[in-house]
Amino acid sequence: MQNAKDTFYVTLRDRLAAVNPARTMVLRGVTRPGVLVEENELASAYQPVDAFCLRWTGSRLDMRGVLPLIAMDCEIRYGSDGNAGNGGMDRGRLLAAMDAELVAAVGAAPQSAAKMNYTGAAPVALGTRVFWGDVAFGAATVNGERLERVATVEVFCYQEAGEL
Amino acid sequence: MADLLSASGAAVRAADVLLRCAGGRAVMLRMPAPASAADVAEQLGSAVPGFQDVELAPVAFRAARARVAEGKAARWELLVSASAVEALVGSLGYSAAAVLFAEAFGVLVDGVLMTVESTTESQIGGAPYVYRLMLRAPIAAAV
Repeated sequence: MQNAKDTFYVTLRDRLAAVNPARTMVLRGVTRPGVLVEENELASAYQPVDAFCLRWTGSRLDMRGVLPLIAMDCEIRYGSDGNAGNGGMDRGRLLAAMDAELVAAVGAAPQSAAKMNYTGAAPVALGTRVFWGDVAFGAATVNGERLERVATVEVFCYQEAGEL
Repeated sequence: MADLLSASGAAVRAADVLLRCAGGRAVMLRMPAPASAADVAEQLGSAVPGFQDVELAPVAFRAARARVAEGKAARWELLVSASAVEALVGSLGYSAAAVLFAEAFGVLVDGVLMTVESTTESQIGGAPYVYRLMLRAPIAAAV
């Protein structure tokens, strides 16, 4: 399951960076693409604004096939305060731009990637693929001056023999 | 203008004296080392960053105002000298105190690592003279 989560994150990160290379964030002094996995960062890390924050929530197991099929829910949280120079009046536009980037990254063909194991010095391709559905957008919510949204993507993978 | 600068300097010195007299002590601020650029292992949570403990003194740890509820982690208040914070901001190369506390992993008080929940500052003439940190004890320490 962890390999599928890592593969989905790396694929989404690379696709989002290709869609909008300017969407970056600074985390612990390093500039990187504006997407992170919440559970992979320090517990004290604040949620960055104008960046995508992935949170893995539910998971389900289907044992009917040859290999166990796992379905996982990935929440993608993001928000925008708008530009200070515009008095924040463009926060709706900036949130819509993030919606469009997410659709482009998640919905780009193929909606799958070869499952990789990233625990070694170099990533190793496994025998199956990770695949995912379309983005389901939650309602935009107002949190003070910030406009926020939670989108959900269902990610599927096969549990291979010997895989943790 | 000179009066304002003099007043803010006096407030910083007065705050330092008050913190030292009101049980002034030292705590450690735990800072994560800068991330490694393009290191996918850190982004995947499989590589742990290094940490550096730096001393914050004088501070007052306000146990008297702890808010405790059953099953919830206790919250504490830490008053920190602005002169100590300014020295750290300068020596560690941060742009502002807010960035320093936002980047901090926690505050080590008597061997217990507490999370910084929020930071406020008291100012005079636009210059801070004391910082107030709300700290949360680890959930494992909740009763």
